[in-house]
Amino acid sequence: MNDGFPLRPDAAASSRPDAAASSRPDAAASSRPDAAASSRPDAAASSRPDAAALSRPDAAASGAFREAYAELHCLSAFSFQRGASTAAELFERAARLGYRALAITDEATLAGIVRGWQAAREHGVELIVGAEFRTQCGIKIVLLVENHRGYEALCGLITRVRGRAPKGEYRLLETDLDELDGGDDLFALWIPESVPDPAIGQRLARAFPGRLWLAVELHYGFDNGCDNAARLAQLQALADALGIPALATGDVHMHARGRRALQDCLTAIRHHQSVFEAGDALFANGERHLRSRDALSAIYPAELMAESVALAARCRFDLGELRYTYPHEVVPDGKTPAEWLRELTAEGCARRWPESVPEKVARQIDYELTLIEELGYEHYFLTVHDIVAFARGQHILCQGRGSAANSAVCFALGITEIDPSESALLFERFISRERDEPPDIDVDFEHERREEVIQYVFRRYGRHRAALTAVVSHYHAAGAIRDIGRALGFAPERIDALARCAGRWTDHIPDEARLREQGFEPEEPMLKRLLVLAGTLVGFPRHLSQHPGGFVISDAPLQTLVPVENAAMPERTVIQWDKDDLDLVGLLKVDVLSLGMLTVLRRSLDLLRLHRDIDYELATIPKECGETYAMIQRADTIGVFQIESRAQMAMLPRLKPAKFYDLVIEVAIVRPGPIQGDMVHPYLKRRNGEEPITYPSKAFEKVFERTLGVPLFQEQVMALAVEAAGYSPGEADQLRRSMAAWKRHGGLEPHRKRIVEGMLERGYELSFAERIFEQIKGFGSYGFPESHAASFALLTYASCWLKCHEQAIFACALINSWPMGFYSPDQVLQDARRHGVEVRPVDIRTSQWESTLEPAPDSTGALAIRLGLHMIKGLAESDGERLLAARDTPDCNSVERLAARSGVKRTVLSRLADAGALERLAGDRHRARWATAGIETSLPLFAQADVEIVADAEEEALVLPAIEVGEAIKADYATLGTTLGPHPMSLLRQRCHAGDIRGLGGVVDSKRLATLPSDIGVTLAGLVIGRQRPGSAKGVTFLTLEDEFGMVNIVVWPNLAVRYRRILLESRLLRVTGKLENQEGVRHIIAKRLIDLTGMLEGLSTRSRDFH
Amino acid sequence: MRWACLLFPRLALEGALRRRSDPTAPFALIEGPPQRQHIRAANRAAREQGVKPGQALGFAEALCGQLETAPFDVESVERWRRRLATWAYGFSAQVSLHYPHALVFEVASSLDLLGPWPRLEARLRGELAALGFSHRLVIAPNPAAARVLVNVHDGLAVDEAGLESALASLRLDRAGLARLESDNDIVQTLNRSGFQRLGELFGLPRSALARRFGSGLMRHLAELRGEWPLALDYHRPTPRFSRTFEFDRPVHAIAGLAFPLKRLLQELGVFLMGQDAGVERFCLAFELEDGLPQTFEIGLISVQRDPDTLLELTRAHLERVRLAGPVMTLRLFAPRLSAYAPTRRELLEGPARQAQAWAALHQRLVARLGQPALKPLVEHREHRPEKAVLNGAGPRAREASIGPPRPGWLACAPQRCDGDVVQLLAGPERIESGWWDGDDIRRDYYLAQWADGRHAWVWCEPGQQGWYLHGWFG
Repeated sequence: MNDGFPLRPDAAASSRPDAAASSRPDAAASSRPDAAASSRPDAAASSRPDAAALSRPDAAASGAFREAYAELHCLSAFSFQRGASTAAELFERAARLGYRALAITDEATLAGIVRGWQAAREHGVELIVGAEFRTQCGIKIVLLVENHRGYEALCGLITRVRGRAPKGEYRLLETDLDELDGGDDLFALWIPESVPDPAIGQRLARAFPGRLWLAVELHYGFDNGCDNAARLAQLQALADALGIPALATGDVHMHARGRRALQDCLTAIRHHQSVFEAGDALFANGERHLRSRDALSAIYPAELMAESVALAARCRFDLGELRYTYPHEVVPDGKTPAEWLRELTAEGCARRWPESVPEKVARQIDYELTLIEELGYEHYFLTVHDIVAFARGQHILCQGRGSAANSAVCFALGITEIDPSESALLFERFISRERDEPPDIDVDFEHERREEVIQYVFRRYGRHRAALTAVVSHYHAAGAIRDIGRALGFAPERIDALARCAGRWTDHIPDEARLREQGFEPEEPMLKRLLVLAGTLVGFPRHLSQHPGGFVISDAPLQTLVPVENAAMPERTVIQWDKDDLDLVGLLKVDVLSLGMLTVLRRSLDLLRLHRDIDYELATIPKECGETYAMIQRADTIGVFQIESRAQMAMLPRLKPAKFYDLVIEVAIVRPGPIQGDMVHPYLKRRNGEEPITYPSKAFEKVFERTLGVPLFQEQVMALAVEAAGYSPGEADQLRRSMAAWKRHGGLEPHRKRIVEGMLERGYELSFAERIFEQIKGFGSYGFPESHAASFALLTYASCWLKCHEQAIFACALINSWPMGFYSPDQVLQDARRHGVEVRPVDIRTSQWESTLEPAPDSTGALAIRLGLHMIKGLAESDGERLLAARDTPDCNSVERLAARSGVKRTVLSRLADAGALERLAGDRHRARWATAGIETSLPLFAQADVEIVADAEEEALVLPAIEVGEAIKADYATLGTTLGPHPMSLLRQRCHAGDIRGLGGVVDSKRLATLPSDIGVTLAGLVIGRQRPGSAKGVTFLTLEDEFGMVNIVVWPNLAVRYRRILLESRLLRVTGKLENQEGVRHIIAKRLIDLTGMLEGLSTRSRDFH
Repeated sequence: MRWACLLFPRLALEGALRRRSDPTAPFALIEGPPQRQHIRAANRAAREQGVKPGQALGFAEALCGQLETAPFDVESVERWRRRLATWAYGFSAQVSLHYPHALVFEVASSLDLLGPWPRLEARLRGELAALGFSHRLVIAPNPAAARVLVNVHDGLAVDEAGLESALASLRLDRAGLARLESDNDIVQTLNRSGFQRLGELFGLPRSALARRFGSGLMRHLAELRGEWPLALDYHRPTPRFSRTFEFDRPVHAIAGLAFPLKRLLQELGVFLMGQDAGVERFCLAFELEDGLPQTFEIGLISVQRDPDTLLELTRAHLERVRLAGPVMTLRLFAPRLSAYAPTRRELLEGPARQAQAWAALHQRLVARLGQPALKPLVEHREHRPEKAVLNGAGPRAREASIGPPRPGWLACAPQRCDGDVVQLLAGPERIESGWWDGDDIRRDYYLAQWADGRHAWVWCEPGQQGWYLHGWFG
């Protein structure tokens, strides 16, 4: 402890109590801890009676000694784990306090600058762009941007210092400062340490001649024996000695004092400590907020504040000056973009319609091209086309989606496969004249080959001109509770339990009832504190991550527009802006996404070509096939795209899709939103004619006709706003954006007025208009874009057609593309076998790495699936290839030779033996395993020589126990994840006794179940292959049981689920007694009683009864 | 020779349950890193609610709300096993801890004294039940066979004639094969080749087995059948020290104990030297002429064996003792010895010497005042002065850095002092911190000159009247 108290003569001379009392800053602001706990911590601050500060600056010019002020050193929430206020909060308060300008100077990042720019425009306070840095040797500076060139210099510097550090960090070297050309177009503020080192000041003054200021930051600290006055005197003397000007800055970390608790928590989180442990890592007080100008005048001399304002006035850069240029490569020399796009479109049309383009389509294309040219979006389409053309050249299947993706031009260019001449879709969300934003096209590629496309983009445009966009991850409730819980020192188990109360992805802090239910006492002060703070933290940015596939490509190096940093994945770079920030400066973004089903479809089409000699593309697969729709209506859709889940399969027999547009609706309607919004039942009733289809007006009819009057799509809301409330299409798109965001950010209220007034003008009643608005509001969270649904439905149809007509091909492509989709290879193969497809075991003599197709013997033209080595669990592909190469050598007719020639380890061969893949070389699994165990480990050394193995006569005679069916099934599941032998259920049925009610006595199978009338009691048993408790189902558990004939859905109500909790969690074989329900062809059992039969499975593989 | 094998299937759990007030309440031992803790063992009450070994802790807690847990502790299991071995030493001179979770010991030689076997068996079981350890017991012609048979039998007594058939019916996974070679899973290979029981292996050609599984398996099979002698290391109970000094005449004063005490401690020192060990604590018991014996435990900060040091510390302890009556006998008892590392002598003994001096002072203070009276001060660099010094354990102290000046003497509680401040010398230092524990403060601190010229540390609350004195600068 420091006992010596350095006395300053000047301070000793002034008698302070009165002076201190009169100049005590922010006298009214006292946010007590309990106040912070009982309400949102900032509420106390923003509602405090700081009357002078509340008035607008211009109106309150009467304040005699309030100096003008501009804050030049302020962190926002984008200085992760430091800044405790968002840009919106900062600017709102800066405006109230009458600041001339506010600099957002986040630490080595511009990730929050677009938000700052928006907030600045909204609140009418000028934004100064800047960033704070700390060099490796501890020098702390703030750089402010003077003009556009300064902005480019700052972006370049951030890119440089981040490029040499791992993700999320930066390294600023002193030499970087010298490379800034004397700091032209930038201004530098030096933030001295508590013991300032004049040498650093001199060093910086040399690096920034005439552009360096000394920032005086006073926070009533007492570091090194200096109070405010002493510190001020010290720094002013220092500035004089160095010959540089000083100015006042605030080192702002939060907008108001009430954020102190959250700021402390963030600091503690940053240090991986609790606030109890963090000690003096926390700030000593809450002064680092935007202080009133009164409070600042009391501690800063007027000239320092004036200097801040003067410097702020010299910063003239506005983000709006940024100009984005499309990459030039996509247009060949000597052509204009418009000419080239027309040329490519014409070529595409010739390919799509070899005879002649239908007139309707031709007109559509012409209209679209004119609009594209008018708005100057040729480059966008050309860039997407360039990527898609590359993929096609590489035989990679892709499909565009999004508003513009389903245009006729995109069909001609091959970006989408939805044929405009055959669909009657209306796409209001194409590009509109009002909107000064590029259209949005997402392109899905085969999931296994997307990386090739990504690397192509990097190759073609260069690493400095192409990068992925960032995604700002925001705090959800659970994450906020976890972080704050740790900061408050809660035990890990309690934090886990609390976070579970919140659930995943929600932004809602759990309410009292939920907490009590989980055994928490919501009144407990510590818990209250946690919940309030976590509630504030929700919605804060947490970190930047990489967008799954959103590319930005620019003609000039990207770092002249925005800083670029390293991603977590090697060989990827990410810009610092979120995808939503891009639109504001008109940056081109192309989404290069991956989709497993495209891999399946490409494989299927390849197999079709190989085995059937049929050359289809997505667009040429026979349309509107009745058989296919019949299959869909039976919900016989295991493995197809989108309509394969339990919920979707339950809907199909009711919705009975019979044409392509029905599939579009099916894809969009079975989603949590429409289910919770109760849109499903009205639609079904209307479709089945149980409810009349009515429209309040002609306008409504026009918009909602195709969905029978039920709002399903985002596009419909936009169209409604246009038709019924007089919106322009551009405004309608704004409405769509606000709808998507209102829950987090608010902002729908202006639309309420607009919509209600617009509807009143058009003769609707007030109450009706209000109701429509509420519906729109509720709709915001779940509306699915029709344009996406249509693209998905195309893939759904294609996969269904293949499944319907080419079961073997489709199943084979599916299991080769795994992991993907909803079902395991086992379920896909079981399904294929139920449809009569022969599946043949893995066999080292004939299998390939992937599963393949072989002609079935009965000359019906049917194909059989030969499982590939990839099915064997734990077998590395490299080992598989060596084995395949070895088995193709002449006379490779023994396990020993296979081992010697392939050189794989004995454990690899053991896997093959256990999987039954060596059967034709070495006999059944037992013999094969025994043989592999006998291979001498030293053999690979002689692999070249191919030694002959002299088998022991004694061994030849050895008789091993034969394998039994149950044992083989168990081995199948263990090594392949599936079995080609009898289903375990059929084996168990053979062994059961009729009267055994704790076994399989009295049990029906799923085939018989399908014939039973509904509302009767049934008992059924099967393997548990699915357990689901969807959030939308209010605690209901759905079980899927499988037996040898198919799958059955079981519904377990919450009260029963509690009683049978263990069985639900643990059992693998289950006996269910309950009531059979049949709703429009959808069958399920409402469970009443569950018995765990897992033990019977264990017994299946043992040869004889065990003693122990 | 006949060998008994005792298997303790729930040793860790039962060891831990012995220390619990209610052993019938749901309880489980857990292991694994903090994020992935799982159940190692659970008692009956917990098992009845579905808690099973291997379950994730969170899952088990979901099944059984009132589940209490303790970490699985290998050390304590081994301690228990050694204690049990010491107990078994009472029945056999050849007790081995060779096999995990089990004890094997030779009983043939003891049967003359303690037999016949059924009688000895009943006695062993009776004593184990009293200790609270569930167990299984098998007696067989060799220790290896006894060990594998106890996996599936309890109470089996096999002689040479019955050994082969008893072994033959053993399932392979229970036959101790898994321990033989870690990189080659013998049991799995045999199972997957169709073999299930040990007897099937006995029938196989030796060459076929040896080629596949090497000498380890052959040797194990031979050991089981008693064809290959098994060399075990035997357990010797840990030595302890206990000496008694009887007085001819009752001793009335502590001073009269000094000489005998010195002698006993010297004996202890010699004993410890012989064992190459030291003590961390030992007991002194005074048997009184009338009344209950008086016992003192003398705990040391570090392991010691130097008689002089021990005497000095013991004396300091005894200074606080009042004899309850005349002492008839003095007993010195060291129940456990500890490994002793002699202090190294460095060439230059500067700071090390100081550290030793400090440790010695600490030991003396503890000896005189008792352990609870002595607590370290921990500096916690908190902003709130009241919380900046903690007594005893606290958060890890942060590295010292230049901080604000603090007075050398801090008042326990700030006192109101409106009239006495003559002049404020420096400040304010605003401290606004501590919302997390309900003690949020908001104060402006000043260095002030007191009426008598002293320098005081005072504060006022911003916006409030009144001054408070919080400390004095030296």
